Amino acid sequence: MNMKLILAALAASSIAAPVFADGKALYLEKTCIACHGKDAKKPLTPEYPKLAGQNAKYAERQMLDIKSGARANGNSAAMKGVMHLVSDEEIKELAKYLSEIK
Amino acid sequence: MRKILTLALSAALLPAFVLAAGPRDAPKAAGIESKDYQWAKMEGELKEALEKKGDVKRGKETYEICGACHLPTGAGRPDGTFPQLAGQHTTVLIKQMADIRMGLRDNPTMYPFAKEMTDPQDLADTAAYIQSLCIPIDHGKYEGPDAAKQIAAGKELYEKQCVECHKANGEGVKEKFYPVLAGQHYKYLLRQMTEIRDGHRRNANPDMVKVIKPYTNDQLVAISAYQASLAMPGSMCKAGPAKAAAKKK
Repeated sequence: MNMKLILAALAASSIAAPVFADGKALYLEKTCIACHGKDAKKPLTPEYPKLAGQNAKYAERQMLDIKSGARANGNSAAMKGVMHLVSDEEIKELAKYLSEIK
Repeated sequence: MRKILTLALSAALLPAFVLAAGPRDAPKAAGIESKDYQWAKMEGELKEALEKKGDVKRGKETYEICGACHLPTGAGRPDGTFPQLAGQHTTVLIKQMADIRMGLRDNPTMYPFAKEMTDPQDLADTAAYIQSLCIPIDHGKYEGPDAAKQIAAGKELYEKQCVECHKANGEGVKEKFYPVLAGQHYKYLLRQMTEIRDGHRRNANPDMVKVIKPYTNDQLVAISAYQASLAMPGSMCKAGPAKAAAKKK
């Protein structure tokens, strides 16, 4: 897993131009995995949600709202700090990936 | 009430179980905003962890949870979201982890991870491992057509007031908790200096706050640009194809 992370990080860190990675790569590279765990099934603490199989629309809305600050309740302060790492398009990709995890 | 119950229950049922805590459970300690704030107060976990001998091998394991954000090499992210850690003084690492754990440095993203460390020995081991890593040389630097000018202006400022504590190569002072700056991401340096100046980093050294207070945003940009250009002889990773976690010396 660590190796994958390094590779993903290397791939995405070089240039600022929009990168269209697939949702799974984004999940690893944008640090989602750190809190939400492998395959979005094993969150770091029971206070964080399992995201595998979540509705894509719902996941996208929550990510957009946490990024903009419209949602600031619960533990969203922990996530706000990393949301500048993803564009709105990448959020869409992530949401799609999450919804498709079996 | 419910929390007390949960605590009591887990204490009774699983004495050795680590209670996973979210950022909302983070305590809040009196920091620089309070009258009797004492920087680097030698007590509690900080003191205990500093007295332990850190084990690099064990630290490699305890660091694993950190690596998801700070990367296995300790390099963090050039955009400054996560700082570069490799080669940092154990004292600095232990103090920052202890401060975040006790709620003296606010970091809701990192708190639940820092909380996973079980005891002062864990802090000492993790810090020993991180310190043993070479400092990556491909970190985030000031990028712009005026880089040379910024770095020159920053050097002049750095040599006036910063160099006394952070030293000529940005090596800091281990026994005084002054961090290594060499190899740190430009954007992280700028963010921290700004937060320290503006009183948002509550575990800051009051002596530094006094010094940095009059600096303008532009001056901090120049100083960060210069700091990010520093290199510590003997501690930097060798140039070449991306090598993971090469040991120094």
